[in-house]
Amino acid sequence: MEIQLKLYGSSKILSDKDTLNIQLPNNSNIEKVRDILSKIISEKHSKSNLENLPQTAAFFSEKDEVVNDNYKLKDKEFISIIPPIGGG
Amino acid sequence: MSLHTALVKIEGKKISSEKAKSFIISEKNGAESIVVGRVRNENDRKKVTAVTYDANDKVVIKSFQSICNDAKNKFDKNAKIFLEHAKGYVYIREISILIAVGSGHRDEAFKICRYILEEVKHQSPIWKKEHYADGKEEWLSGHSLRTKKQIK
Repeated sequence: MEIQLKLYGSSKILSDKDTLNIQLPNNSNIEKVRDILSKIISEKHSKSNLENLPQTAAFFSEKDEVVNDNYKLKDKEFISIIPPIGGG
Repeated sequence: MSLHTALVKIEGKKISSEKAKSFIISEKNGAESIVVGRVRNENDRKKVTAVTYDANDKVVIKSFQSICNDAKNKFDKNAKIFLEHAKGYVYIREISILIAVGSGHRDEAFKICRYILEEVKHQSPIWKKEHYADGKEEWLSGHSLRTKKQIK
């Protein structure tokens, strides 16, 4: 299955586009997304200071609600990654 | 109307303190408190030229309204509140956030301003990328929406 991850803040380093398509095994949850992101960062973005991102980021569903690590993803689902925030 | 919140796409518009002052004025107010946040030219000994603000627009607006309503319930139900935050590329000296509060008394006006500023920093999904004089740029670290217990 594949999901579309909408990128915000520092996670935009992961792609030139606003979204990143991630391939996942069927019935994956958010915890699996964190694992895959860790791999992507260590393989392709090791100099980008993003090593903590998979653990410190929250994730929002398409309805803009926070989803927890057990949240089961559907094929083609659209979710947002929310890195640590800091406006003002 | 006692509440105005907006995320201002700065390429087309500017945040205006005059607009904020006009919004909060009322003969019921004994005090007005205004906090203006601007992009400054230095951070962590690096010369800053500008900041790009990224935001999850819908969630930011929801959070602004919730924070302002909480502030009213906590300090003064009759307060008039104006809150705008910039989105996009903001040069030094330009306004990044403006909070204006009109309230019956000064203590509540100060407290509401402070409360809103701190809660925006901790609740509203907004991110900053600093641009430096040497051509480099960096996303700043922020406050995780996960608890320490959740972070492995």
